[in-house]
Amino acid sequence: MKKYFIAIAALAAVVSCKSLKEEWDPVFTGKQPDAAWAVPYTEEQLQEQQGLEEITAIADLKAMYKNKPLPILGNIWIKGKVISSDQSGNIYNEIYIQDGKDANSGAAISLKLGKGSLYNEYPVGTWLYVKCTGLTLGAYNGMIQLGMAADETATNEYETSYINLQSIIESHVFRGFQDTAFAPVSLTEDALKKAITAGGSDNVWGKVVSLKGCVYGDQIFALFYPNSNMAHKSGNPENRVFLSDKGTWGVTTWSCTKDGYIGYLQDGCWDEAEVGSGATRYGSILGTPNQYLDADTAAKFGPDAYLTYKEIMIKYAAANYISHYFNLGSTSIQVRTSGYAKFAASQLAAGILDHQPVTITGIVTLYNGAAQISLVDDPSISVVFD
Amino acid sequence: MTKRIILAFAALLGAVALFAQEPTGGVKGTVVNRNGRQPVENARLLLMQGAAEIASVTSAQDGTFLIPALPDGSYTLVIEAPEFLESQVQVTVNDGYVKNMFNLSLTAVSQVAEVDDDSFAAFDLDDSGYSDNPTILFGSNDVFNSIAGYNFSSVRFRARGYSSESQEVYLAGVKLNDAITGYSPFSLWSGLNEAMRSKETVNGSEMSDFGFGGYNGLTNIFGTAGEVRKGLRGSVLTNSTLYRLRVMASYATGLQDNGWAFAANVSARLGGNDWIKGVYYRSFAYYLAADKVLNHANTLHFAFFGTPGERGAQNASTQEVYDLMGDNMYNDNWGYQNGRVRNSRVRKTHEPIALIKWDFKPSDKFEGSATVLYRFGKNGYTALDWYDAQDPRPDYYRNLPSYYYGTINGEYVEDLNRNNPDKYLAALNQWRYSDMYSNLTHLDWDRMYNVNRMQSSGRSRYVQEERRVDQRDLNLAFTFKARPSDVVTLNGGLSARINRTEYYKVLADLLGGEYFVNVDNFAERDFSTSPYKTQNDLNYYLINGSAEVLHVGDKYGYDYYAQVRNYNAWLSAKFVAGPFSATIAGRAGLESFWREGLVRKGLFPGLAPNGSKMVDPLTGETIEPTYEADGSVTTSYGKSKVARFFTYAGKANLNLVIGGNMRLYANVGYFNDAPKFNQVFLSPRTRNSMVSNLTTTKTFASDINWQFSGSGINVRATAYWTKIWDQSKVMSAYDDLQNAFSNFAISGINERHMGVELGFKIPTYIVPNLSLQGVLSLGEYVYTSTPTMTQTVDNSAETVMENVLVPYWTKTVLADGTVRQKHYVPSTPQTAASLGLSYNYNYWFIDADVEYFDRAYLDMNPLYRTDYAVAGLDNTITDEEVIYMTTQEKFKPAWLVNISVGKSWYIQRKYQIGFSLNVKNILNNKDVKTGGYEQTRMVDNTASKSRYYRFDSKYFYMAGTNYMLNIYFRF
Repeated sequence: MKKYFIAIAALAAVVSCKSLKEEWDPVFTGKQPDAAWAVPYTEEQLQEQQGLEEITAIADLKAMYKNKPLPILGNIWIKGKVISSDQSGNIYNEIYIQDGKDANSGAAISLKLGKGSLYNEYPVGTWLYVKCTGLTLGAYNGMIQLGMAADETATNEYETSYINLQSIIESHVFRGFQDTAFAPVSLTEDALKKAITAGGSDNVWGKVVSLKGCVYGDQIFALFYPNSNMAHKSGNPENRVFLSDKGTWGVTTWSCTKDGYIGYLQDGCWDEAEVGSGATRYGSILGTPNQYLDADTAAKFGPDAYLTYKEIMIKYAAANYISHYFNLGSTSIQVRTSGYAKFAASQLAAGILDHQPVTITGIVTLYNGAAQISLVDDPSISVVFD
Repeated sequence: MTKRIILAFAALLGAVALFAQEPTGGVKGTVVNRNGRQPVENARLLLMQGAAEIASVTSAQDGTFLIPALPDGSYTLVIEAPEFLESQVQVTVNDGYVKNMFNLSLTAVSQVAEVDDDSFAAFDLDDSGYSDNPTILFGSNDVFNSIAGYNFSSVRFRARGYSSESQEVYLAGVKLNDAITGYSPFSLWSGLNEAMRSKETVNGSEMSDFGFGGYNGLTNIFGTAGEVRKGLRGSVLTNSTLYRLRVMASYATGLQDNGWAFAANVSARLGGNDWIKGVYYRSFAYYLAADKVLNHANTLHFAFFGTPGERGAQNASTQEVYDLMGDNMYNDNWGYQNGRVRNSRVRKTHEPIALIKWDFKPSDKFEGSATVLYRFGKNGYTALDWYDAQDPRPDYYRNLPSYYYGTINGEYVEDLNRNNPDKYLAALNQWRYSDMYSNLTHLDWDRMYNVNRMQSSGRSRYVQEERRVDQRDLNLAFTFKARPSDVVTLNGGLSARINRTEYYKVLADLLGGEYFVNVDNFAERDFSTSPYKTQNDLNYYLINGSAEVLHVGDKYGYDYYAQVRNYNAWLSAKFVAGPFSATIAGRAGLESFWREGLVRKGLFPGLAPNGSKMVDPLTGETIEPTYEADGSVTTSYGKSKVARFFTYAGKANLNLVIGGNMRLYANVGYFNDAPKFNQVFLSPRTRNSMVSNLTTTKTFASDINWQFSGSGINVRATAYWTKIWDQSKVMSAYDDLQNAFSNFAISGINERHMGVELGFKIPTYIVPNLSLQGVLSLGEYVYTSTPTMTQTVDNSAETVMENVLVPYWTKTVLADGTVRQKHYVPSTPQTAASLGLSYNYNYWFIDADVEYFDRAYLDMNPLYRTDYAVAGLDNTITDEEVIYMTTQEKFKPAWLVNISVGKSWYIQRKYQIGFSLNVKNILNNKDVKTGGYEQTRMVDNTASKSRYYRFDSKYFYMAGTNYMLNIYFRF
């Protein structure tokens, strides 16, 4: 009998010895040790480990862009402090960084990371080191951005694409230490006009600015695609509706959530809006594709061609951006807010509608020769009465 | 089967009468197979007193034996039979009476057919809408089941293509299929193989003594102390696909002279495996039971058991990921935390069962039993949850090369609008050199901890939740058997079930953060200006003015009771006339269920108790209710409407015994069954809304069978035809675009299942003790109706699609009516065959089998079979789109080879030791798909804006060569 016991014991030993720790405790269920979390990079470490030699000023990097996408081949690094946050959802898929000793010096650029909830890992005030090698410098509506080479698709219309892939982000973007945030740059009307005149090369674009004395302009701008799934580029005026030139169109919120969009439509606020774009105008959204379009074009709407555009818009409703016009002296500024911003459904404060002057703080960009502001934080913080 | 027991019993009774006058004592009984209670013929019974052999007899054809003319005293009875393990019992002869040992059960030598249900249970993915539960075939009394049960288990074979819900599993006379889902409940006793070994099974629509049954067989597990093998037993088992080690011990006293029998069984299953990383076991099991024979007519049984423990789960992934990793067993559930493997999806369960059963037999013409069974405890399943953070899953589609270079079947498709060579190459490298990028190709726990710790507020962005399904399940069952005359046997019973299952989430781990908040992430995105809408627990918010701050152990998210009540009565009558017998049976029942919300969800607030609209005290905003299609207010808190169903069923069986060895029998049945709770509520996590047009499922099942059993030959051949109408199903899949569960309620699914089954074991006559064995299951399981589908999203009152036809459900049909492909009931091979040799001599057994499987199909997603999906963005249906979108994937056929070998030894007639080694898939075939599902999303961002594309399907694969070694001993 003894020998059988020995045999069993031996077998059990063979079975168990493979690696006791690994086999009997094959997964970790304990607590994460406190020490084991990412320490910010120092310049010295990046020099030793990542081949950092020299930091290029963001302004110098942007100056390399010459009206066409520029793949960066040399060992070029920039560093900048995070000045934007996607926490409120108005800025997303990108972060703005700015270099220089203070807010007024240096320049800012958008990093097209192509991910959500970036504020979790890259909070405002964090220094980032960016290895530009392998990335591409490009422009969008005059704003210079750093991303990846553009998609090689027939429909692509951008000079760069989002970086998207975590392995590329991790080999190009290195988190340095957390610093105090830059204060917003106070911008007067004169300074703003000067920057607009200077065009894309001015160093103010992309920075967080404060514009004191802005007054509501009683006008909005928006572009909707009645069936957002269908083609809706400028060659498809049959699937475009603009809200412009007619005041506020009843819009009293900073932007349009899906529910807000449906609400405005149902309330009849946009009944007079016209289908079409440019010189091609079909008629109000109360008409149907069948009424307005030739048979082939109407057929693109399928069974929806019998519905009014208003009904189609409700059927395919989605969150949509809205731009509100403000006037800084004689200069018009658009405050553009995404329909996915958490404050999209917030009402413009009564005082704003009553034309009380406000100070607006946000990222300033140049859009078709005009200044556009994207609020980074909730309007209760970023739009305050003077 | 039933008849044989009756015959054996009758023989026994006859023997009692015959030997009543015998003046001296003796021992008698019936030798039966433990599994199935079949009489064992030619068993050798050796009566020992000390070392002296007193007598030796052989059991008769009906298993009975008698050793007469014994003086009073204590003896040891040793029972040996070919193909069975030796067994011995103590017996005392008193006062010159013949001691009746009743049934002496033997265990078959080949313990091959020990299928671990854990290998099935791992396919429960509550994020995909896909679930695949075990159908385990039992019964060494049935040649088809015993061969198919073991050899087909690795491809998740389902007999006759039926879903696992249709397999009825009873414990101690109580039907224990899950009250909510109907799934078979094997996991409740996994690891208690010894305690639950004794069982009786019928196939198809056959009648059982234990219950009315359905059309997919009934297995009753006895589970009482007297049924556990006597003595002290132990085993050590290792296997390469589930866990490294199982140790198990059992002890049973058998029925003692004082009328008590006790039994205990404990086991532990520990460790990882060779095939799937992250899958591990830390599971234990206990079982305690006692029987008390009060008198000749009354016996009480008590049992209490449970299986506390945890196990890491496996997940399915796309073929792209498997190919990149070079591993079809890749599991995206785990990742490294501080250098150690950690699984995010861990099932943690402890659901004890307590039962009391009373058997009574007031006369030879009447016997009955009554059972009270209670199930309670916890059933948890962890998962990652995140708030305002990136999707942490490594194989999220945007992390894969295909997101940067769009191909279909390896060909670049420009319309997919995905072409970025730099990112494509980077993604390819990230996956191909996964060792270098293990933080990206597996979960990155360290990153999740870091993100949480970077939050100055302390609010975790990533947490681990535990989804709980805690049952309180009270069952009462009464069954009886009466023999009013020699030609009639009546069987019947009553059962009641009261089930209250609580579904909720518990915060399991803050992953380095300090707290979490009970708000709806998705609602917050859309309704941040209406804070009440973002509340998971609106009542808490209304009282406290803010959402609840959560810490580990707190309930959050959703919380509701699924309430189920079920009452049934059944009766069968069996008429015997010579070799003919016929049985008719009927069942009637009432089933009702409702949902009871324990929290008020902000998106579905309903009205205040006084019927008025509530007001958010913080913002002054009126809390607007949402409405159902019929205009009633949608509610999340409190009791829903009650769904009530009257159910009924009827069965008939004809049976002809020819010459003692041959049996010809046929069954028909009609069943009108209630849908299950989880098929009735559209989005039970959030609201009380029910599927409209609820109806019962109707089934007509028929089969005809021929069976031969004798001279070492065992054959069964069956042909069956079954039609099922009006099935409904709710699939819930996590939609990461919506950050919420998307629910597809499908109703009006009809199926037809028909085919043949053949099982045989025949001596070769050339080599002694060598048999040829095989099974063939050839079926056609198809859909025969066009169902309708309603799609809802957990976090929206809107119905995305309502009662939309699913015209491509049954077939892929072109515009001109040409049928391109017929669609099949998925998840089981419709052709399955096995042929092998079995050698059995002197306690050695060797089995070698070759298996072939074909015509297995992928589970279909109804969305892809709608006109909406096929037509695409341009609302035009083309044949190309029909073929692309609606075709059902057929799995490749597979060949497998399995070998089993075992032997047991006896030592001084006191000890027994043995082993069995099963090696499966010797050909190391690693590309056998065993299941999977289609995702419920579509690519719409195309260049042409004219059509949709599917997301890649996800699959499960079978492990390559794997083994199970079991060493067992008995003292």
